[in-house]
Parts: sequence; structure tokens; C-alpha cells
Amino acid sequence: MTFARLQQGGPLRQVMVIAGLILFTCWSAGPVLWLILSSVLEQKALIAQPPDLSPRNFTLENFSTVIGAAASLGRGIVNSLIVAVFSTALALALGAPAAYALARLPVPRANNISFLILATQMLPGIAIAIPLFIVISRLGLIDNVLSLGVVYLSFNLPIVIWILRGFFLGIPAGIEKAAAIDGAGIFATFWHIILPISLPPLSAAAVFAFVEAWNEFFFALILTRQQAQTTPLVIANFAGQYQTVFGQMMAAAVISVAPVILLAILFRNQIIRGFADGMMKG
Amino acid sequence: MFFVAPALIVLAAILFYPIVDSVLLALQRVQLAGGAVTQEWIGLGNFTRLFSDPVFWRAALNTAYFSVMEVILVTLISLGVALLLNHPFGRSGFFRILLIIPWAIAPVANAVLWKWILNANYGVLNALLKSLGVIDYNQVWLGTPFSALNFLLIVDVWKSVPFVALLMLAGLQRVPQSLYRAAYMDGAGPWQSFLNVTLPTMRGVIAIAIVLQTIWSLRVFDLVFVLTRGGPADATALLNFLAYRVTFNFLDLGYGSAIANVIFALTFVLAALYVWLLWPREIKGAR
Amino acid sequence: MVHNFNRRQFLGTGALAGAMTTMPGWFEGGAKAQSAALNVFSPLPPDPAPPGAAKFSEEAFAKWQADNGATVAYETLAWPQLHDRMATAFASGAAPWDITYNCGWVPEFESFLTPYADNLPKALVDDLPATSFATTTVGGKRYGAVFTLSLLTLFYNKELMEQAGFKEAPKTWDEFKACAKEMTRDGRFGFVLNYGDPAGIGGTASYWMVFLQQAGGKVYGEDGMPAFKSDEGVAALQMMVDLMPSTDPGSISYAGINDATNVLLAGRAGMMMNWPFMWNAGNDPKQSQIVGKMTSAVLPAGLKGSASIDGTDAWTITKASKNQDKAQKLIEFYLDAEVQKRQVLDTGWLPIRLSVLADPEVQAKAPNAAVVLEQAKHPYDSFVTADYNQVTVAIGTEVQKALQGSKTAAQAIADAQDAVTAIVKRRG
Repeated sequence: MTFARLQQGGPLRQVMVIAGLILFTCWSAGPVLWLILSSVLEQKALIAQPPDLSPRNFTLENFSTVIGAAASLGRGIVNSLIVAVFSTALALALGAPAAYALARLPVPRANNISFLILATQMLPGIAIAIPLFIVISRLGLIDNVLSLGVVYLSFNLPIVIWILRGFFLGIPAGIEKAAAIDGAGIFATFWHIILPISLPPLSAAAVFAFVEAWNEFFFALILTRQQAQTTPLVIANFAGQYQTVFGQMMAAAVISVAPVILLAILFRNQIIRGFADGMMKG
Repeated sequence: MFFVAPALIVLAAILFYPIVDSVLLALQRVQLAGGAVTQEWIGLGNFTRLFSDPVFWRAALNTAYFSVMEVILVTLISLGVALLLNHPFGRSGFFRILLIIPWAIAPVANAVLWKWILNANYGVLNALLKSLGVIDYNQVWLGTPFSALNFLLIVDVWKSVPFVALLMLAGLQRVPQSLYRAAYMDGAGPWQSFLNVTLPTMRGVIAIAIVLQTIWSLRVFDLVFVLTRGGPADATALLNFLAYRVTFNFLDLGYGSAIANVIFALTFVLAALYVWLLWPREIKGAR
Repeated sequence: MVHNFNRRQFLGTGALAGAMTTMPGWFEGGAKAQSAALNVFSPLPPDPAPPGAAKFSEEAFAKWQADNGATVAYETLAWPQLHDRMATAFASGAAPWDITYNCGWVPEFESFLTPYADNLPKALVDDLPATSFATTTVGGKRYGAVFTLSLLTLFYNKELMEQAGFKEAPKTWDEFKACAKEMTRDGRFGFVLNYGDPAGIGGTASYWMVFLQQAGGKVYGEDGMPAFKSDEGVAALQMMVDLMPSTDPGSISYAGINDATNVLLAGRAGMMMNWPFMWNAGNDPKQSQIVGKMTSAVLPAGLKGSASIDGTDAWTITKASKNQDKAQKLIEFYLDAEVQKRQVLDTGWLPIRLSVLADPEVQAKAPNAAVVLEQAKHPYDSFVTADYNQVTVAIGTEVQKALQGSKTAAQAIADAQDAVTAIVKRRG
């Protein structure tokens, strides 16, 4: 297959790709490696110059302390999961149809509406924090995971709509015409034809919404007290005024990344399957 | 319209009041006194004060540099990474997981991690560069204005690339193979097929990436807060950090809202400009 | 008292304390019908925290709740986030707490607090340093009680100091400069501090205030207007500038004291100013490479003698609290002599009660207690006002410019005074 050969490129391009991948691996993995090392080394080894990596300085104590003492980390992870799944599911459920309509249906002023939707994200969160706090506290919903989830929904929804709208715009127009000839209505077309071929952007949008909700700090700080604390707050709790318990903080960070990695592994397969589907149709 | 309405209603219900209130706050002088908050209308007073505030101009300049550089770097690096990971050699799941990790680390922990990496005395970056012979003495990476701002930039690029690259990777996978095949048949080399097939098809995705990254780069806050606190001597004060400091540290709510509204106006104009310039019109025409 | 026993058991599990606050007081007997749920906003350990939030006096705490018919629920948060959450809650008129921790923010939040400390029992007040109320007094009324004596003192590495040819800690500015200079060799520095964050207590401006008071200066005049554009103000900053060649150059980039502390703990700096918690950190073999080598001393004297600043960790009661009396009783319990003693023995945070500080057992466990007590004989005003954050950002930024050499000390002080004057005038 000469075409497949072409995609791999000549020897020079192959070398460049390999070099690029190595560079990419160092760039991405380097700091992450240091994160992991920091979580298993004693602090006195980390402040040595150069850092003292001898075996006697390795310890799992950070992990055992974080897991043992911090019931709060467990609660944080559960809260974060609820908030993230809730806001991601709603963002996709509301965002995908909206994006589809704004991209492909005769909605009046679709471009302006889209821009208005995006504009809601242009005011820094810091400015809306206090008014939002007032509303939510009047409703008695401070320290409630679902109210936090709804707030995150309002942050994620516009971005999800924009990501999906861009992809929907790129779908060849013939697909819907073919569906219309087959007698499919708007709903059926959207559900049976558009969504299945949009798995890669849908996964990208889902991963986006999930990670953003999983990691959001500022509004979680303002809108929770104790019961609804999410993971980022628990992690921040290791940095005090006088002392930062760095090793434990990094251990908590390692633990908190795990669910996201799990999700990434799940969605990686989705992306690849979406890719394969695209190949068949292309 | 039935498809769009639920999303619009949800957004309006949650964000309408806070956004309007923040605009109104920007027109008031707000003080905490007597166990309550007193508000006094001062029209554009906060904005005239803003434009004569040298710290604001310093932060505006820093922000301009920061966000322009960030948008350029993130877009280019992400496109490169996406191309690499779309190459047959880079399609392994390993790279895809690796891609996501920097973004998945909680920003608080990420910022503290980098603070340790960049520490002038015991940071691992100094140790590494010394052992490689690149530098002879420890460098104070966050000590001089230009260097500190650029390191903030690098760290923010590091954690911003993953998502944009993911977006572009999804975009690349939507480029029909038949187009490449056709280009190949026409005798186009890899560079030409990139220019003539890949880029035009990706135009919409790249536009989204640029618009979103612009929005995000204008509201960078947590890195500044943990790494430098805007220092040394306001060298790394970005507008959103300033808005935070004025609102939450100085409790000058009206003035803080005014700064936030300036960020809003800036973002709005830039995003509108990018959409106007980059949005692929021909596809819309084909509808 | 079966009921009380039950309750104590309940509270022993800690996590249930929160749930308790929502329960009706139906297991209170007739005599104790007035069950009160107290909500306390506190920092998390290892920062200074009360019994129940930190691990000390837990039994006494459970007993206090049982005896007083009160349940205490803590809302804890890492110290750096405390101010933001308090500011949001107060500004929105929805602060749910009875008692809040406070750190130099009393003037700022004064209108939301009650001046309960005027009513504390005389026996208790007499056992507290009178000056400890300086940062919690507004308009002559006392809004808070400091619960740990937290002053900056000098911490130094004995070994490095001996190598530099000094037998004891420097007593004057000149000795201090000479000593720092001698210690700066072999990749080590005489002095390290966190000059990265201009704001707040423990920020760049507050360090300058230490030197300012050592020189005999004050930030504000009698009329409440800034009055530090003086020989003392300039001399204080010049002292910091003179130290720079012997200071870890990273200091200007260290945004938190932890960044600087680690340099001392790694043995690559000889001296720093630090808070009393440093004693435990420096002697913890997991964090420190200078175990047994670290000592503390009174800060060196400028023209007018030694001086320091106050960490001002205090308890305050909110105006909105419906349990003013019980809240005050709880604070009195936090300041109880036995609780104060466990506080220092179990957490390392010094007590504020003079009698406990003088206790031989306390002095043996916390050898720096004597040093802090000695330091407390000298001035330690933190000059907190309602604009404290804004003022310290303005001063600290100018101090940073002088430390970086982009302005002379005199110029920086003049500019800082102008900036602070504008801030004070705007407040009106």
C-alpha cells in the first residue's frame, strides 16, 4: 500500500516524528514524574540540592497519612464525582441538541445566539462570585453538591455547545438529505445519524466538562462549607499559612488524578472507535 | 428553536443575575460598614480611577503579552502534538493518556508542584540544568520581571495544551481519508497536502481553539496566586489577579467589578474579531 | 448522667458533630433545655487550631460541650483561603458562624463582630499580655482574644554561625550584617526570607515593619495618617537592602514563608525571621537536615532596640451569632490554662497565657518559649487597620523595588508614603 506508506512518510519524516514523540513524552511526563517522586520522598530529600534520590529517603507514609487521616479526601472524591458526572451529563444532554440546532437547523440569528452563549463565559468568575453566592445562599443551597453542579453546568454548557457546533458545521450536508429521503424527521436524524458519527467531538466535550468540574477550585471554595467540599479544596488544605505539607499534597494529587485517567482510558477507546467509524464512511 | 431553548433557559437562570449585578456593581462604590454593605452610585467613577491607576496599566500590559503569547504557543504546539499523535507511530493509547495528564492534575497541586520545580534554591529545574552543565549557578527563575512572566506562561501553556490538542486530534480524525488519497493521486507532497487538505478542513476547529484559549488566557489566576502573588513588584500581576486582589483582599467590590468588566470587554472584542476573521463561512454557505 | 455520656461518645467520633447541629436537642434533660449549636470557623492544623480541630485536649473539649449543653461544629479550611470565604460571607450578609478565627482582619471586619473581649473575666485578662489586644482593638473596644503568642524571632543555624566565627546570635544591626556576610559562602547564604508576596502579616511590608520598629519608627502618626517617610523608615529599608548581598537571591521570588523555611531547613541559609512553629519543623527529622543545630534568639536591635510583629491569631464572635454567651464561654475554654498547656505540648503553638508560658514543663518542651517571651518585652505592633491588605501591598511593592535595586530606599519610602496616604484618604 503506497498510500499507507505515504501516511508514514519517508525516513526523514519518520525520524522527525519519533524525535517529536520523545520530546512530547519528556515535556508531558517530566513534571508528572516529579509529582510522583515528590509524593514518595521525604521532604528533607526534596530540599537537598541536588535532590537526594537514595532509597532510604523513599516512603509511602504520605499516602498512608493521606488515605488514613483524611476521610475528607474520600468525601472530596465522592463529591467531585457527583458534581462532575452531574454537570457533564447535563451539559451534553442540553448542549448537543442546542449545538446541532445552531449549526444545521434554520434557527434565526444562529451566529449571534452562539456568540451570546459564549459571551456568558467572558466575565471572570471572580466578578460573579459574590452575586452568585448571594443568590445561592438565599435559596439555602450553600454547601450542596448539586448547586455546585448546576453552577459548573453554566460554565461548561457554552463551551460544550461551541465545541460541538464547530464539528456539526463540518458534517457534509448530504447526510441529512439522505436521511430526509429515507423519511427520518429532525429528531431521528439527530439521534440515529448525527450523534453516532460525532463520538470523537462528544468525547472531547465530555472529557472537557468532566475535568473542568473535577478541578474547579474558586467556586467550590466560595459555595461550599464542609459537607460538599470537593477534591481540589481537600488538596489545597495541605498548604497552610506557615507550612505546606508538600509530600502529602502531592500524594493527594496523585490519588485525585486516578479517576480522570480511568475516564481517559475509557474515552480513548471511544475516540478510536469514532475514528474507525469515520474511516468506514469516508 | 426547541433544541436551543433548554440550554438558553438554564444559562439565563444561573448567570443572568450575577452578570447584570456585576455590571451594576462596577458603577458603585461599595463598602462594608455597620454590619452591612453600603452602596453608593458613582457612575463611571471606578473606570476613571482605573485609567489613572499605574498598577492597572502594568497589569494590562502584562496581560496583553501573556495572552497573545499563550494563544500563539498553545495553538501551534497543540497542532503539532495532534499531528504527532495522529501519525501511525503516535496512535498508541499511551500517548493519549499521557496527553491528558498535565491537564487532569488539580490546578492547585499543579501550581504548587511548579513552585517547587522552579524554586531558586532547591528546585529540581536548577539541579537538572546544573548537572547537564547548562547553567553554573542557581537561577532565580521567578525573580526578575521578564523571566517570571515567561515561566508563568510556560506553566500555563503546559497545562493548556492537552485540551486544545485533544480538540485538534478529534478534528484531524474528521478529515476524510479520501481527500488525502485524492491529493496523493494529484501528486501532492506531505507539506502540500497539509496546507491544502488538513488546514482548510481544520479551520473551524482551530478557530474554536483560538477563541476559547483567548478567553481562558485573559482569566488566568490560580498560577499567579500560588507562584508569584503578582510579584516581584507587580511584574506578574495579570488583570484577573488584580480583579481578585481588589475584590477579595481589599474588599473594594465596585472597583474589582470594574476591572472584571474591562476584562469582559477585552475578551468580547477579541473573540468577536477572531470569529469574524477565522470562522469558515464557506461551510455555512453550503448548508 | 447517662445523657451526657451518650453525647460524649457521639462527639468522640468527630465526624458526627456536624450532623448533631441539625438535630433537635431532644436528648437534653429539663435542666439543660437550652442546647446551643456553635459553629466555629477555624484554620486547619498544622496552622494554629482549637481542640477538636487539632488533636489536643479532646476529652476536655467533649466534657465542656456536655457540661455546657452545647455542640460545637467546626468549619475548617486551609489558612490561605480563610479570608476569602469570610469576606464573601460577610459581604453577602450570610455568615453562618458564631465564632471565627481572625488574623489581623479585626479592623476590616469590625462591623460584623462583637466587642466581647471587654467582658472577659479579669483573672483571665490579667494573665494575658496587655499588648496582645493591640491588633483586636478598634475604637477602644476589644473584639478578639489572641490565643497563641506568635511573634517573629530570629532562627539560626548554630553550626554555620560558629563556622562564621560567631559564638552567639547577633545583637545589633551591624553584627547582624557582619554575621550574614561571613555566613555567605560555599553556596550558602547568611539570610533568607520570603519577599515575594508584598501583602499581609508575613508579607514583605510586614518584615519592613519589623526593621522600622527596631529603628524606632511608626507607620502611622497620631492623626492616623502615614508617617513613615522618616529617617527611621528609610534606615529600616536600607538595612534590608544592605542585607541583600548576603540574602538568598531567591528570597525575592518566595511567595510563602514555607519556601524560605525550607532553605534554612536544608542548611543552605544561616538565619531567618520566623514564627514559633519553626521550632518543631526544624527538629523534625523528616523535614529538616539541621535537627539539633537550630536555635532561636531575640531579633537584633536597631537604633531603638529589638522589635518584632504580632501574628495576631485571635478568636472573634460574630454579631449575627444567637449564642453570644455560649460563644464567649467556648473562647474562655480555649484560653483555659490546662487547654493552653496541652496546645503547646501537643501542637507546638505557644500559649498566650503568661502563667502557662512560665510553666517549667512548657519551657522544657518548647525551649523557644522563653525567647518569644523575651521578644514580647520589646515592641511588636503589626499596625493593622481596616485597609491593612491594601496598605501592605502598596508598601511591600515599593520595598520589593528597593530590594531589586530599581529604586533607592529613600525614593521607595517616599513613593510608598504617597500611595498609603491616597489609600487612607480614599477610605475617608
